[in-house]
Amino acid sequence: MEDRRTLVDGVRLVVRALVYAVVGGAALLAIATVVSVLGPMLALDLYTPPVAAWWTVFTAIAVQGVPFLLLGTVVSAAIGAFVPEKVFSRLLPQNQALAVPVAGAAGVVLPGCECASVPVAGSLMRRGVAPAAALAFLLSAPAINPIVLVATSVAFPGQPKMVLARLVASLATAVVMGWLWARFGREEWIRLPKRHADPAAIGLRAFTDGLQHDFLHAGGFLVLGAAAAATFNIAVPRSVLELFTGSVWMSVLLLALLAVVLCVCSEADAFVAASLSGFSPTARLAFMVVGPMVDLKLIALQAGTFGRSFALRFSSVTWVVAVLSSVLVGWWLL
Amino acid sequence: MRRYGPAVLLLLTGAAILRISLFGELYLRYVQAGLRPYLVVSGFLLMLLAVAAAVAGRAEQEPHAEQGQHGEHGEHTGRDQEREHGEHDDHGDDSHTHDQHGGHHSPRVAWLLTLPALALLLFPPPALGSYSAEREAAQRAAQGVGHFPALPAGNPVELTLAEFSSRAVYDSGRSLAGRTVRLTGFVTRDDDGTWYVTRLLVACCAADATTSKVEIRGQDTPPADTWITVTGTWHPKGRLGTDAAWPPVLDAGSVRRIAQPANPYEKR
Repeated sequence: MEDRRTLVDGVRLVVRALVYAVVGGAALLAIATVVSVLGPMLALDLYTPPVAAWWTVFTAIAVQGVPFLLLGTVVSAAIGAFVPEKVFSRLLPQNQALAVPVAGAAGVVLPGCECASVPVAGSLMRRGVAPAAALAFLLSAPAINPIVLVATSVAFPGQPKMVLARLVASLATAVVMGWLWARFGREEWIRLPKRHADPAAIGLRAFTDGLQHDFLHAGGFLVLGAAAAATFNIAVPRSVLELFTGSVWMSVLLLALLAVVLCVCSEADAFVAASLSGFSPTARLAFMVVGPMVDLKLIALQAGTFGRSFALRFSSVTWVVAVLSSVLVGWWLL
Repeated sequence: MRRYGPAVLLLLTGAAILRISLFGELYLRYVQAGLRPYLVVSGFLLMLLAVAAAVAGRAEQEPHAEQGQHGEHGEHTGRDQEREHGEHDDHGDDSHTHDQHGGHHSPRVAWLLTLPALALLLFPPPALGSYSAEREAAQRAAQGVGHFPALPAGNPVELTLAEFSSRAVYDSGRSLAGRTVRLTGFVTRDDDGTWYVTRLLVACCAADATTSKVEIRGQDTPPADTWITVTGTWHPKGRLGTDAAWPPVLDAGSVRRIAQPANPYEKR
């Protein structure tokens, strides 16, 4: 009885496998034929120079962002896993109005571009740093660290005032934004993923867990931002902007918008600014002040880390403050 | 698959980064040369994380099968679920509610990472070429007219397009006069038949590429996008530092086709 049943089962299995193999094989063969005939035609039709350039710029932004994002998530995971909660509240002044400029100036110590600062700011908030101070750090870190300032002085040889103007305008924007948040900001706009809230998860396990989660999460948003930036990069030729170099006000606003859509890394934007030779120094300053604080890639990263309702409000206000501050500093120094 | 999602994603990303930076020089199509060590370190770190994630994924499965025997594991999963639950409440109306699922499941948005990773592993996108160069007006670095240091010895002397251009337009000492120079780049053409040897300049990554180009006279036009070296002498035109001096001109003695150099861009 048992033997017959296993035999029948076996036969059934073999027949089923054969049917699957024949049907599946035929389907696969059909697909393979169609793809191999149509595929190259279609691929060649679709793979035009603009599409190829889009892929190159897209992967370039993603590749360039990975080391900095990883640096940022390593620092942020280390803060989450190894730094006790009380350290930051002891280091920073209790008074928020005072803590904001201190945190802004502390941006000097994180030698990365803007991708790195978002996860770090997130973990600072989880570790009990006042959001206003963490946000001032978020804005100032990619703009005023030594690597960026050196790059700026290389891009503008013989114009040390440009470096000073960038430092002053960026720091001013960061501090003003921190104060604005302390005065008008609402906690409920920020939705931090509560991964590290668990006080029991401390040490190496918490470190790798946090690192892995933060990197994957932020990495996804980096890719999203890279796609948006590549699209603008290909769709809007920079030479179109030369039409607007005549008006001082228009040129400042235009370069400030260009900084948002181009998403040039803060370590490279000085070179791009230097090459926009038709524009006034103030407009180029606005490009360098806005770029590290508001761009498509950053909006995507912030939306992922702090939530969409925060990212949109914060980025739009930051853009306005950054433009105003660069106009004022440009008028004063340049 | 869900369990090993993070491990797979980290592995793919790490492999893509290592493929372009450690096993070859493809990374030069996308980013500047100085980034290589950071890319290699990142690639290895991502691989390590992938291993850690895979181990965590395995460990997560075990307690379900042998609940009770491993008290410690059981407790851990319990805590994970609790945490997951808490997060769920926090992200009630967020669009990516499921992104935040605790411990070892990857956020859904992270799957976007497969796009650049697979592109780099399977069909690495080409370096930017004449298409990008032609849509941007060639930019010249803002700088004043001045005296440049002497050119290095050599006949012909190898120069980057950027170096040649700034000397041609801004050097009051006219260091290019009477020297034979050799330039490397790809071919771009204007509608009126003039052609240029062109190179893109990259400071950080391909997104910030700008163009520099030198007009070539005295030789037939090669097909667009051909990589060439041109040997010739500077043909002065226009007054120093003005738009009339731009773009600079080279009277070519010889044009030789070459393969695309390892680094398709000039460092700014």
